[in-house]
Amino acid sequence: MSEHHHHHAATSPYLEKRRDGEQTAVLEARVKAIEDLLVSKGLVTTAALDRMVEIYENDLGPMNGARVVARAWTDAAYRERLLENGTAAIAELGFSGLQGEHIVVVENTPAVHNLVVCTLCSCYPWPVLGLPPSWYKEAPYRSRVVIDPRGVLAEFGTEINADVEVRVWDSSAEIRYLVLPERPAGSEGMDEKALAALVSRDAMIGVTRAEAAAA
Amino acid sequence: MTEQTRPEIAIMDGAAALPRRSGELVFHDEWERRAFAMAVSLCEQGQFEWDEFRDCLIAEIRCAESVHAPGDTAAPGYYEHWLKALEAVLERRGHAVSATL
Repeated sequence: MSEHHHHHAATSPYLEKRRDGEQTAVLEARVKAIEDLLVSKGLVTTAALDRMVEIYENDLGPMNGARVVARAWTDAAYRERLLENGTAAIAELGFSGLQGEHIVVVENTPAVHNLVVCTLCSCYPWPVLGLPPSWYKEAPYRSRVVIDPRGVLAEFGTEINADVEVRVWDSSAEIRYLVLPERPAGSEGMDEKALAALVSRDAMIGVTRAEAAAA
Repeated sequence: MTEQTRPEIAIMDGAAALPRRSGELVFHDEWERRAFAMAVSLCEQGQFEWDEFRDCLIAEIRCAESVHAPGDTAAPGYYEHWLKALEAVLERRGHAVSATL
């Protein structure tokens, strides 16, 4: 399957599709006829439809990834499976991606800080993180993070000690990376749900840490 | 209404995979959004099983593929198939839809 090539434009005729005004008007009328029918039967409301689109456009979100991280923090066997085969361990929690996308989880430790970028475009582990933030897609982050990762981290307010190695992972259409942040001090005794609330999108990209005070 | 995406919808793959760019759903026109939302809404309410809708969608895509060569920009777009599948599923339930133009 090759529906999902980010690095090659114009592989999908869908994306190239241009309709004239008349064709579009016919399609609009057909959709409106269905909507009118469903509204008249009380099966949908316009507001509910708007909300539905919003959920699907926005909510494949970082909460999924946060649940993965919280599970890894509380379940050592899960953590091991996650680091060994990210895609499979993430799928255990019900999140999975399109074919050909492998999610590799990289673990932060006291000695190593991981950071994710896609230098070519904006590849991103969307099943666990939702939509990438705009800065992730923009050239300044994509180009600078490779040259000066510590400088970029400092801009996010993340100071990394000189004796900590910073590893930058470049995503591709084939491999997406997810950072497993360090479990923050002060989170002892918290349950999985409370822990998930400490895990931000940015921490799973690696530009920040998970903080116990973040909740 | 549930406030979460249903994985069987959100992560369809193969021929039925939702058009995406870097993970984001791609809608060109507002009618595509409306058609998407109506199918998902009706499924959420239990009007039909997602599998039934997806099978209709795949059938429409296969049918068009047998007529149009790959890359033929005159071929219907993904949401045109989606719309036909929605009309077909509704018709089976006695909701005949006729657009007046």
